[in-house]
Amino acid sequence: MSGGWERLRGSRSRTTHDSSFHTPAPSRTVTLGRVQPQAPGHRTIYCNDREANLPVRFKGNSISTTKYNFLTFLPKGLFEQFRRVANCYFLLISILSMTPISPVNPVTNVVPLSLVLLVSLIKEAFEDWVSVIHGCIGLQALPFDSSFAIKRFQNDMVINNTLIDVLQNEKWVALPWKKLQVGDIIRVKQDAFFPADLLFLASTNADGVCYIETANLDGETNLKIRKALERTWDYLTPDKATEFKGEIQCEQPNNSLYTFTGNLIFQKQTLPLSPNQILLRGCSLRNTEYIVGAVIFTGHETKVMMNSMNVPSKRSTLERKLDKLILALFATLFIMCLIGAIGSGIFINRKYYYLSLDKAVATEFNPSNRFAVAALTLFTLITLYSTIIPISLYVSIEMIKFIQSTQFINKDLHMYHAETNTPALARTSNLNEELGQVEYIFSDKTGTLTRNLMEFFKCSIGGEVYGSGVTEIELGGAQRNGIKVQEVRKSSTAIHEKGFNFDDHRLMRGAWRNEPNFDTCKDRAFVLSIFIRNYLLKTVLLVLVAGTLIIMEFFRCLAICHTVLPEGDESPEKITYQAASPDEAALVTAAKNFGFFFYRRTPTMIHVRESHVEKMGKIQDVAYEILNVLEFNSTRKRQSVVCRYPNGRLVLYCKGADTVIYERLAGGNDDLKKVTRAHLEQFGSAGLRTLCLAYRDLSPDTYESWNEKFIQAKSSLRDREKKLDEVAELVERDLILIGSTAIEDKLQEGVPACIETLFRAGIKVWVLTGDKMETAINIAYACNLINNDMKQFIISSETDAIREVENRGDQVEIARFIKEEVKKELKKCLEEAQHYLRTVSGPKLALVIDGKCLMYALDPTLRVMLLNLSLNCHSVVCCRVSPLQKAQVTSLVKKGARKITLSIGDGANDVSMIQAAHIGVGISGLEGMQAVMASDFAIAQFRFLTDLLLVHGRWSYLRICKVITYFFYKNLTFTLTQFWFTFQTGFSGQRFYDDWFQSLYNVIFTALPVIIVGLFDKDVSASLSKKYPELYKEGIRNVFFKWRVVITWAWSSVYQSLVFYHFVTTSSASGKNSSGKIFGLWDVSTMAFTCVVITVNLRLLMMCNSITRWHYISVGGSILAWFLFIFVYSVLRENVFFVIFVLMSTIYFYLSVLLVPIVALLGDFIYQGIQRCFFPYDYQIIQEIHRHEPDDNTRAGLLDVGSQLTPQEERSYAISQLPRELSKHTGFAFDSPGYESFFAAQLGVYAPQKAWDVARRASMKSKPKTPKRN
Amino acid sequence: MSSHTASSSNGGNGSGDSGVPKRNSKRPKYSKFTQQELPACKPILTPRWVVSAFLLVAIVFIPIGIACLIGSRDVVEVVERYETKCIPVLNRTDKVQFIQSAADKTCRISMTIPKRMKQPIYVYYQLDNFYQNHRRYVKSRSDEQLKSASKENDTSACKPEDIANGRGAIVPCGLIAWSLFNDTYSFSRQNQSLTVNKMGIAWKSDKQKRFGKNVFPKNFQGGGLVGGATLNESIPLSEQEDLMVWMRTAALPTFRKLYGKIEVDLEEKEVINVTLMNYYNTYSFNGKKKLVLSTTSWIGGRNDFLGIAYLTVGMICFALSMGFTIVYFVKPRLAFYGDLATLPSYHGTEVLDRTKNVHGILLMFKAHPSLPIGTEALHHFGTSLLIVTLMSMECLKHDIDSGRILMV
Repeated sequence: MSGGWERLRGSRSRTTHDSSFHTPAPSRTVTLGRVQPQAPGHRTIYCNDREANLPVRFKGNSISTTKYNFLTFLPKGLFEQFRRVANCYFLLISILSMTPISPVNPVTNVVPLSLVLLVSLIKEAFEDWVSVIHGCIGLQALPFDSSFAIKRFQNDMVINNTLIDVLQNEKWVALPWKKLQVGDIIRVKQDAFFPADLLFLASTNADGVCYIETANLDGETNLKIRKALERTWDYLTPDKATEFKGEIQCEQPNNSLYTFTGNLIFQKQTLPLSPNQILLRGCSLRNTEYIVGAVIFTGHETKVMMNSMNVPSKRSTLERKLDKLILALFATLFIMCLIGAIGSGIFINRKYYYLSLDKAVATEFNPSNRFAVAALTLFTLITLYSTIIPISLYVSIEMIKFIQSTQFINKDLHMYHAETNTPALARTSNLNEELGQVEYIFSDKTGTLTRNLMEFFKCSIGGEVYGSGVTEIELGGAQRNGIKVQEVRKSSTAIHEKGFNFDDHRLMRGAWRNEPNFDTCKDRAFVLSIFIRNYLLKTVLLVLVAGTLIIMEFFRCLAICHTVLPEGDESPEKITYQAASPDEAALVTAAKNFGFFFYRRTPTMIHVRESHVEKMGKIQDVAYEILNVLEFNSTRKRQSVVCRYPNGRLVLYCKGADTVIYERLAGGNDDLKKVTRAHLEQFGSAGLRTLCLAYRDLSPDTYESWNEKFIQAKSSLRDREKKLDEVAELVERDLILIGSTAIEDKLQEGVPACIETLFRAGIKVWVLTGDKMETAINIAYACNLINNDMKQFIISSETDAIREVENRGDQVEIARFIKEEVKKELKKCLEEAQHYLRTVSGPKLALVIDGKCLMYALDPTLRVMLLNLSLNCHSVVCCRVSPLQKAQVTSLVKKGARKITLSIGDGANDVSMIQAAHIGVGISGLEGMQAVMASDFAIAQFRFLTDLLLVHGRWSYLRICKVITYFFYKNLTFTLTQFWFTFQTGFSGQRFYDDWFQSLYNVIFTALPVIIVGLFDKDVSASLSKKYPELYKEGIRNVFFKWRVVITWAWSSVYQSLVFYHFVTTSSASGKNSSGKIFGLWDVSTMAFTCVVITVNLRLLMMCNSITRWHYISVGGSILAWFLFIFVYSVLRENVFFVIFVLMSTIYFYLSVLLVPIVALLGDFIYQGIQRCFFPYDYQIIQEIHRHEPDDNTRAGLLDVGSQLTPQEERSYAISQLPRELSKHTGFAFDSPGYESFFAAQLGVYAPQKAWDVARRASMKSKPKTPKRN
Repeated sequence: MSSHTASSSNGGNGSGDSGVPKRNSKRPKYSKFTQQELPACKPILTPRWVVSAFLLVAIVFIPIGIACLIGSRDVVEVVERYETKCIPVLNRTDKVQFIQSAADKTCRISMTIPKRMKQPIYVYYQLDNFYQNHRRYVKSRSDEQLKSASKENDTSACKPEDIANGRGAIVPCGLIAWSLFNDTYSFSRQNQSLTVNKMGIAWKSDKQKRFGKNVFPKNFQGGGLVGGATLNESIPLSEQEDLMVWMRTAALPTFRKLYGKIEVDLEEKEVINVTLMNYYNTYSFNGKKKLVLSTTSWIGGRNDFLGIAYLTVGMICFALSMGFTIVYFVKPRLAFYGDLATLPSYHGTEVLDRTKNVHGILLMFKAHPSLPIGTEALHHFGTSLLIVTLMSMECLKHDIDSGRILMV
């Protein structure tokens, strides 16, 4: 079986399949997380009938993920190359140099161009054929993926030729995947991959279910249930399946993994299809002998292939500046050529009879048409001076960056997270140096700053708080206030397992049965409570019962109202829960620990092992029938389950955000509501994540009438989700509040220290979170983002004035009012901020703004004010923001302030922000793939940002700056010597250097050392980079690639070229050896070229901060290469015949080789000396402070981290050893409006979705179907 | 060190793997390359280094410069400009007409030897404003043709001097050969003629490799216009050293070419009479013509440039080293002095941000009132700081009032 799987394609912009992809879908440039607009129309598929499907011409099932194939490689690759302006320019120059007006042999321009193209093409081929997987998708499913490299092409071949059983002539025939067609009926065996998107028809399992693993799609390794339509369960054997003649009407191919709308028209009935019946390519079958399915989408039309990412490739700011530099060079070139051209027009004269200009002479030298002479000379000179544009610059930079990202960033042990076994991953090599210039970091909170490790920490039941733990945030807050908090010793009852960190003797070990909970009783929390209120003092027993009953409702709600899948042994110790969000797992785990052990889920039932109070502690297994699941999504912010007790009681359990639950509570009970709200706020300020629990008893009549509407909504083809929401609204009302849960969201390791370091580096960290303001502020405190010394500006929509207007309900009025309020606030804050800024030692400023206000603040009229205010703030916290707003804030700073931004996040809700920023960083490891797939860099921990930015980013920036400026310098110097010579040749455009010298100058004699510098140059060690984060500011200010720097280099070039030209020519004027012989042109120019090569290479050494032996080898090698070349060449070529021997026979040669480079470098040396002495860069000061220290201390630090685990690390390490079960959905924070309902549809799949499932149940209760074997 | 790190990093790896025996660890392998810890020397351009480097250059260059100058001064050189002199006074209004006419162009000039010249004495002619490096000129030759007789017709580059009308290819073809210099000089002292040895004036490589032994001049100067000298058609090109010298085109429009050697010593104050045939037309383009007699030394001909350059650079470097030394002592930079990082409450920020000078340090004190400003700090910063600090006090009155840097 082919282990290799189609990978979702990498980040680089690829136009790969566009040509071969003719679906009505607008474009293949699709980004995960953004659902493509659906193409209009349906697709009608006739199952099991190839002829009927023929007219539609569905795509075949073969795939190709390579960018090129044998035939297209050369044309396509060359086309890609010539999309670069520089290459085009050189092509033009090469063509020009073939014409007679060229002073140079075509070789001058053709050789470097072809070498550059060759290198680029080899690199392309390398990337395409043996590619680093840019995405993580598919990593888990690549058994032969021992290294990161796979051969794409080979892999495609293997996949396309994998065999699959297809139904033909009432038999299963093994065909290769690529032969598969839409409408085919196929059989997939256990552990096999689905070859295409299938409609699930039948399975060997009872109840027509099968289990699939979706690791390839979303990285989740937990099993998911798919369930076939009941009507198709029988078509399992070949003879039966042959009879299956269904017609599938479904949506056009699209990239939304979790939605599907379609109908199966079968035996004259229309059956609605849902994602529950769809088996996607990329998934594999588990725990099921085999399944039978009909092919719906094939090949590149499958959902997984349509999710191939074409992230628009980002270009770094530095590169855009480089473009400007290149433009400046073009301008210089033009000016130089113009000067030369004018000169030639003036110079040309018949008086130079030895030029024989009076005969029929070519236009380019014809003195009678001076204008034509000038014009043609212009072209001549362009070809002559073409070396001013560094042709190998782009390819060199690309190679440098490629190695930087694949070898340095990806393999940095400092950024390897042992607990999750995740190294850092640079998904693009375009942005390495951008990392060194980041000024603003936008961070998600959950899963990024915090661990997305949810632990049930506290709860409030019926107005009573349980749970004795103290959160780190509370500890921190207390410490800030000077209160010493003793760490509470864990009592013996404390149970700490994954997801559960709770201790309260009143509840643990069944103690809740004795919990009187009087507070609860005074609230009418239960049906009995009315009675209780009246007879409160009379019947203590009833009170007791009532109190416990509400606790029981609480636990039952936890145990029933969820979408968690149990896995493993059905014992409390061994069971593991597969949950879509860690919150849910934590809640179910909590229920387990309280004695409501949820241990089994069937499609219709939830089995709970309860310790009932009535039975006096005896254990009883209770099966609750799940009738409906009303799923969670970000608009609903709640989740409900309708269940039927064994005794027939119908209850709706609901959990969700406090705001939405409170809106739907039954009247009365104000005390409980108030108390619980207070508790919610208390939990929130302790940094806990809260959920409200509520329930409602339903009468059978109410339920039936509602269920009918629900069924209707469920089977509607259009706007299904919207209708479902509306129907849900009908039943989710008159709820009775039970209480609330509080889950601790643990801070990630090293986050506060990292943020502190980033602050010192001059980077401003903004937190953009969907959480509540209190939670956000508290996390900000805990992370050192805000402290009490700061002046906080809080712009919140939760003011009385706004609430009042909101209560009036007029939307227009609300909008107008809030906008006014926000404007007022902004103005006030801005004035205040400016006041503080004017004072010398004013406090640092912090801004907290919530999503609603932000919406108005982002209005074009207020945007400038917001920007001004926020840029003056030390830190900014935006809470309750939606993914879109995250992106808006990011681009506000990116575009408005023109600062370099970095977004970091881990969840689907961060995708837009990650894509909006200059640099997107995804948190990989425990979490899902969405953010990583959209990101440019993936790291396992927030704290690795320190390494990524301060070490890799800074170095990359420094190196790339050096490489660019050096390229600029060396080419300018070289070309200028040529330019000076032009003046003394009558502006004829005579070349100073031999053709081959000129053509190899860029690609051989000066090519390698600069790459070595681009790879190895290091101003201060990694540990010093982190010890002195202030060094990073040089990158933010772009100190090393300003115009001033460029001009300095340009002066140096002018100086050096003058030295080369004049020293060499002047000193060569008289007899040059003791036998009085005189040098010719080529002797002089070879002399000059030798000096240039030596100087330019030595100049490189002068700009190095660290010199490894590779520097010596490459610099020495380049100079040596020149001499070797000239020795060989001067034997072979007539122009420079024996020039080097002539030269080396004179003492003059040696004197000049000593003198000229030193004089040329003297200027730079003086400049460097003065600069270093009087205007040192920051890094130079640090270098000097630490100049006597060895560089090796970095390793020691690394080993400490690696070998000594703190208890906490050990714990999380142990957790990481557990089977991976955390889902991709970051902190599926129920209380946050920020999360997209990206996976919402998926969450429903565990429970029967179809209403008719419920209806069926009466007749078909657990009648196991014995699968027929063929 | 390396073996230690390798083993311990393996250990770390092992512990990572032990818990997950089956799982493929993605822990990157340690290598000095990927961890960017290649051993490197870190040159820091401290003032000490700057001064040493300058001194070194000075020490090396000044002697070389002196040696070069001495070598160059040993050379005796006599230059005689003759392009105007050798035109009869009457013809000086239209020199071009004169030079193109068939008139007798014999011209006699005399040169006085300023200093004893030891043989061999090299005779050069020097032309001015002659663009031997013009693009049209440089490429107007056929190296193939010069090398071998079989490539005689390889004259495509030589236009317009490629083919003589109806007589086949010109050998040697092209403008360079066509414009071969044709003034001749004969020398005499006290009516006793001095032989000019015209052998061995071309580079050996030219003679042996570039100009063929079996290539004979053909149709040379046979066209309508005669550009310069004619060649003896019976002598192969490999013997035509004048041509070789001429065809090694000069780099600059002012150039010297070797004419021949006089192989006797010339005494001081001796007057040399030169009879020259002033054939070559430099008058069209106002070019100067000079006759040069020169001896050589180990360095070659007279050229002070190298010597002066070496000497100047050496002197400059010496001056710079002095300058840097003085600056180094008078106004040292802080970082060279004390280890700021060891100061108790040093945070780096202020120093790096603003204090590249002494005033900056004061800012640092402002920002960190807790800095121990006492003898310790002064010890760190050196006494010069104290002076500057006191001078800067005026502008920091506010701080002094607040007592922050009162101790200073």
